[in-house]
Amino acid sequence: MMILRFVFLSAFISATTLFAQNKHTLSGTIKDAANGEVLIGATIFIKEAKAGEAANAYGFYSLTVPSAAYTVVYSFIGYEKRERQITLDQDVRLDIELKEESKQLEEVVVSDDPNDPLTRVQSTAMSTNELSIKTMKKIPAFLGEVDVIRSLLSLPGISSVGEGASGYNSRGGSVGQNLVLLDEAPVYNSSHMLGFFSVFNPDAVIDTKLYKGAIPSRYGGRLSSILDVRMKEGNSKKFETTGGIGTIFSRLAFEGPIVKDKGSFIIAARRSYIDVLARPFVQVLKDGGALNFYDLTMKVNYKFSNRDRIYLSGYFGRDNFLFSKNQGFSWGNQTATFRWNHLFNRKLFANLTGVYSEYSYQLQFGKDDLNRFKWNSAINNYIFKPEFTYFINDKNELSFGGEAIYYYFVPANTVGTSNGSEQDISLSKKYNLETSLYAGNSQHVGKNISLEYGLRFSQFTSFGRDTVYRYNDTVPGIRRTPTAFKAYKSGQAIAQYNNWQPRFSAKFQINDKSSVKASYNRMVQYLHLISNTTASNPLDVWTPSSKIILPEIGDQFALGYFRTLGKNNQWEAAVESYYRTTQNQIDYINGADLLINKFLEGDLLIGKGRAYGLEFYLHRKVGRLNGWVSYTLAKTELQTTGINNNNWYPTRYDQRHNLKVTAFYDISKRWSFSTNFVFLSGTPATFPTSRYTEQGILIPYNANNSRNNVRVPAYHRLDIAFRLDGKLVDKKGRPRKNHDYWVFSIYNVYARQNPFSIYFSQNDKRVPQGQAIQSHATQVSIIGSLVPAFSYNFNF
Amino acid sequence: MKIRLYKFPSPLLPSPRGEGCLRNEDGVRAFARSTKYLMIFGLAIIIFSSCEKIINPTLQPATPVLVVDAWLNNKPEKQIVRLTMTQSYFDATVPPGVHSATVLITDDLNTVYSFADDGTNTGTYQWTPAPGKSFGAVGRQFKLTVQLNSETFEALSVMKRTTAVDSITFLIDESPRFPSGSYQAQFWGNDLQGKGDSYWIKTYKNGVQLNKPSEINLAFDAGFSQGGDFDGVTFITPIRRGVNPDEVDANKKRLPAYVEGDSLYVEINSITLESFDHLQQVKTQTERSGGFGALFAKPLDNVSTNIVNTNANGSKVVGFFNVSAVKGRGRKFVK
Repeated sequence: MMILRFVFLSAFISATTLFAQNKHTLSGTIKDAANGEVLIGATIFIKEAKAGEAANAYGFYSLTVPSAAYTVVYSFIGYEKRERQITLDQDVRLDIELKEESKQLEEVVVSDDPNDPLTRVQSTAMSTNELSIKTMKKIPAFLGEVDVIRSLLSLPGISSVGEGASGYNSRGGSVGQNLVLLDEAPVYNSSHMLGFFSVFNPDAVIDTKLYKGAIPSRYGGRLSSILDVRMKEGNSKKFETTGGIGTIFSRLAFEGPIVKDKGSFIIAARRSYIDVLARPFVQVLKDGGALNFYDLTMKVNYKFSNRDRIYLSGYFGRDNFLFSKNQGFSWGNQTATFRWNHLFNRKLFANLTGVYSEYSYQLQFGKDDLNRFKWNSAINNYIFKPEFTYFINDKNELSFGGEAIYYYFVPANTVGTSNGSEQDISLSKKYNLETSLYAGNSQHVGKNISLEYGLRFSQFTSFGRDTVYRYNDTVPGIRRTPTAFKAYKSGQAIAQYNNWQPRFSAKFQINDKSSVKASYNRMVQYLHLISNTTASNPLDVWTPSSKIILPEIGDQFALGYFRTLGKNNQWEAAVESYYRTTQNQIDYINGADLLINKFLEGDLLIGKGRAYGLEFYLHRKVGRLNGWVSYTLAKTELQTTGINNNNWYPTRYDQRHNLKVTAFYDISKRWSFSTNFVFLSGTPATFPTSRYTEQGILIPYNANNSRNNVRVPAYHRLDIAFRLDGKLVDKKGRPRKNHDYWVFSIYNVYARQNPFSIYFSQNDKRVPQGQAIQSHATQVSIIGSLVPAFSYNFNF
Repeated sequence: MKIRLYKFPSPLLPSPRGEGCLRNEDGVRAFARSTKYLMIFGLAIIIFSSCEKIINPTLQPATPVLVVDAWLNNKPEKQIVRLTMTQSYFDATVPPGVHSATVLITDDLNTVYSFADDGTNTGTYQWTPAPGKSFGAVGRQFKLTVQLNSETFEALSVMKRTTAVDSITFLIDESPRFPSGSYQAQFWGNDLQGKGDSYWIKTYKNGVQLNKPSEINLAFDAGFSQGGDFDGVTFITPIRRGVNPDEVDANKKRLPAYVEGDSLYVEINSITLESFDHLQQVKTQTERSGGFGALFAKPLDNVSTNIVNTNANGSKVVGFFNVSAVKGRGRKFVK
C-alpha cells in the first residue's frame, strides 16, 4: 500500500512543480473574534484570482496563487465579512478573526458573493449537510433538550423508526451503517435513555457535518453515512460559564484560556436529575437504586508554536438503571482523543490522531451469591491516524493518510450461578485489526469544472485466540447448526479481507447561480450491528467480520442540481437523487437468538440491499423568517434467500414520503419563535393473515410467509418553541455581562398518537383447552400526548 | 411505590400497562427483558406513559391451511392428535376441525398406533393405551403420517429422557409481582448429566394447566438456552419459579400465586431440540408486551413446523409433532 501512496504522491508533486513558478502561499487560520473558536468551513476567497476554499476542521486554510496584489475576502455564515488587501510577493501567513453579526430585525441585505466557495452551489461537496450548534439550539426539541441526532432528522434523506429509537437512518441505510465520530473517536451508541436523547452535550459541540454520500476518501468503515461531530476548543480569550436547567438535564460548562490566544480548555457536564426529585417517593431509589444518565466532555488545546498545536479531548457518559445497589443495567461510552496539528510548511498540513474509545454495558441480577447473573460486554478500540493535506496550488488540494484501528471485543463476559453452582457462559473475545490508506485530490479543472477523486484501501484481519465453527447447509432461513470447529492460537489470522474503495465527485458550474454535481463512492464495513428488534437498543451487539460474516460493501451514486434563488441569493435549493446497493447485508432467521449465543453465525443470513430516492431541499438562510423545507421520496429494500419467499422486501425503516419543515421567526428583539413539522409515510410491519391454536396457545400466522407486508399509518407531528432572550442592557442602560434565555416548547402540539408499532396477541384471560380464544391488534404510540417543556439557559 | 426484588432475573416491575410481568423467560432474553422493564420504569417516571389502543386493521386474505397439533406423551392416558384449519386472525371462534383424515404413528420397532376420529367434529383423533400401559418409550423414534384428501403429511420425533421433580416448596417473597405477604411456589429438580436435554415444564394449578404464552416454562439443560452450559445442575431460579400463575383481577391487580388449599402439579416433559426452538419461537411470537416494550419487540415471524407435505408443491401445513417422556409431582399447599 505504500506503493500506492507513493504513486499518488509523486504524481501530484510532479504536477505541483509544473505550476509552482512565481507563486506564493497565503495561509492561516480563521477564528471567532469573541472566543477564539476556529470557524470550521469559514471561507477565503481571492477576488482577482477567483480562487477560494473553506477552512478545514482546524480552521486552517492555505491557497497558492501567482504573485500579485489581491483583495481577499474572509466570510462565514452569521459573521461579518472581512476584506483585506494583500500583496502576495512572498508567502503570507494571516490569521483572521471574524465578528459575529449582531441580531437585526430588519431584512438584512446580504450581498452573497456568487463565487463564494461556501455556498452549496459553488462547492464540489454534495450529499452533505452541516448543522451548526446555533441552528440546533433553535429547533424545537423534545422536552426542550437540544439534541444533535434528533436535529439531523430535519434534513433530507434522514429518518428514524420513531420516538425512542436510537440513531438515525441515512438514505435507506440501517442505524448500524452510520459512523458517528466525536472528535475523531467512534461512538458506538449515541443515545442516552434509549434513543430519546443523544450523548452530545450541546454546550461542548461546535459543529456537525453529515456525509450521506460523496464521502471523501479520508473516511471509511461504514456504509451509509459519516457524522463528524466536532467539540468546541474552549474560549481562548476569557473565562466563560454556560449552563442550563431543563426538564431532563441540567448542564454546566466552563471554558477559558490557559494562556491567552495560545491555549484553552472546556469542561462540560450534564446530568439527568429526575431520580433526585423522585427519591423521596420511590423506595427503590432510597434503597440504593439509581436511575440517571450523565456525561462529561472535556477538551484542552495548546499552541506550542505557529506550526504546532495539540488537542486532548475526552468524553465519558453513562446511563444507570439500577433497582438496588447491585442489580440492574448500565451502559456508556468513553473516548479519549489526542491530536497533534503540525504545519510542515505553508502548504503541508498534518494531523496526527490517537484515539481510545470504549462502549460497554453491564447487567446484573440476583441479590444473593447463590443465585446471580452477571453479564458485561464491551468494544474497545485503539486508533492511530496520520493525515496530511497538501495545498498544492489554487487548483489542487491533496489529502492522504492512513488509519489503523485495533478492536478488542468482549461480546459477553457472563457468569451465572444457580443454587450455588457457578457457570461461566462467556463468549470468546474477538481481536481485529483494520488498516487503511487513502489519497484524494480536490481539483479545479478550468473555470467550470471541479473534481474530487480518491481511493481508499482497507484491510481487515481477525485474529485468534478463538474457536471458529463451521455450520451445516440447511434450507435458507432455518437455523444452521455447528458441524465442526477449529481452534486458532493467539495471534493467528482467522480471516482477512482487502478492499479498494474508489470515491469520486464532480461539479459542473452552469452559471453563477446553478451547478450540477455527480458522485460515486464505495464504502466497506467490517463491523456489524446485530439487531432484529423494532428499534436499536443499548444491548445490541457489534460483531466483527469473520470467516462467515463477510464485510458489507456499499456503492452509492448520486446526482444533484443546486442553485441559488432570489435577488440576493437568500434562497438555496438543491435536488439530489441517489441509488445505493449493498452486498453482504446481514439479516436474521425467523426466531434468531442474538444475545450470548455462541452459535450466533448460525442464526445470521447474508442478503443484499438497494435504496433509491429523490431529495428536495429549500433553505432560506437569512432574514427575519428563515429555515428550510426538505422532502424525500425514497425506497429501501432487502433481498435475502430464505426470507419473504426470496423476494425483495422493504426494510423496517422504509418511508416513501418524508417531509420536514423547520422555520425560525424573530418576533421582536427578545422574542423568537420556531416550529417544526414532520410528515412521514408509515413504516412497514409484518401482520399476520391467520391464526391457529397449538396446545391451547394462539399463534399468529402469515400464510404468504411475507415480511413487512403492510404499512402502519403515517406519522405526523408539529412542534413549536418560543425563546425569550434576557435583557441585553441593565437598568442603567449598560450592556449586561450575562446573557440568558428561556425556551418554552411544545412537542407534538396537536397530541397525535403516532403509531410506533402494532402487535398482535391473544386475550390475557386463561382459556381452557378447546375453547375459542380472543385475539386483537394493539397500536403502540411511544408519545401519546403533547409534551410541554421549558428550559432556562445562561452564559456569563 | 415499593419495589424490592428477589432473586435472579425473575422480575420485576409492572409494565406500563400495569399488568404483565416477567417470568420464566427463554434464553438471555429474560435479562434483556428485565432491562427493558427497568428502562420502561425509568421512562414511565420521566415521561407520562406511552399509549395503546386496540385497532382493527384490514388483514390480507389467506387460504386456510392444515394445522397439526400433535404433542404426545408417555402418560398412561388417551393420546390426542388435533387437526384443524387456520382461521382469519380476528376470527374468534373455535378453529374448524378436520375430519376424514387418516392419522397413524409408527415407531422404529414398526409398532403402529392408529388414531381414530372421536366423532365430535372437532378434528380430534385419539388413541387410548391398554390399561396400565402408555404410549411409546424413551429412545423410540416416531413417525406421524396424516393423510388427507390424497395428500400425505409427515413428521418425525423421538422420545427423549426426562428428569424428576424432587420437591415443591412454597415461600413468602416480597416480589413486586405478587401482593405483599403472598406465597409463591418453586419446584426443585436437577437436569440430567450430559448436555443437550431440553424440557417443557408444565404446571397445573388446581388441575388447570397454566397455558398462557407468558407461562410457557422451557429449560435447556438447567438453564435457558443452548449456549448456557448449565449442565447437570439444579434448574436455575427463574425456571424453578416458573410455576406461578400470571394472573390479575378485574382491576388489573396482581393476584396471589397460591393460597392455602391450592394444589399444584408440576410435570417435566422432555422435548427435542427442534421442539425447544419451536416453543421459544412460539413464546416470542405470542408473548407480546406493549408500551415501551414495543421498542424491543422482535418482528412477527412464522414459527417453525416439523410437519412436511410429502409433495413439496402441495398445500401448506403448520403445527408440530413431539413425543415427551413425563415425570411429575404434586403438592397441596398447607401452611
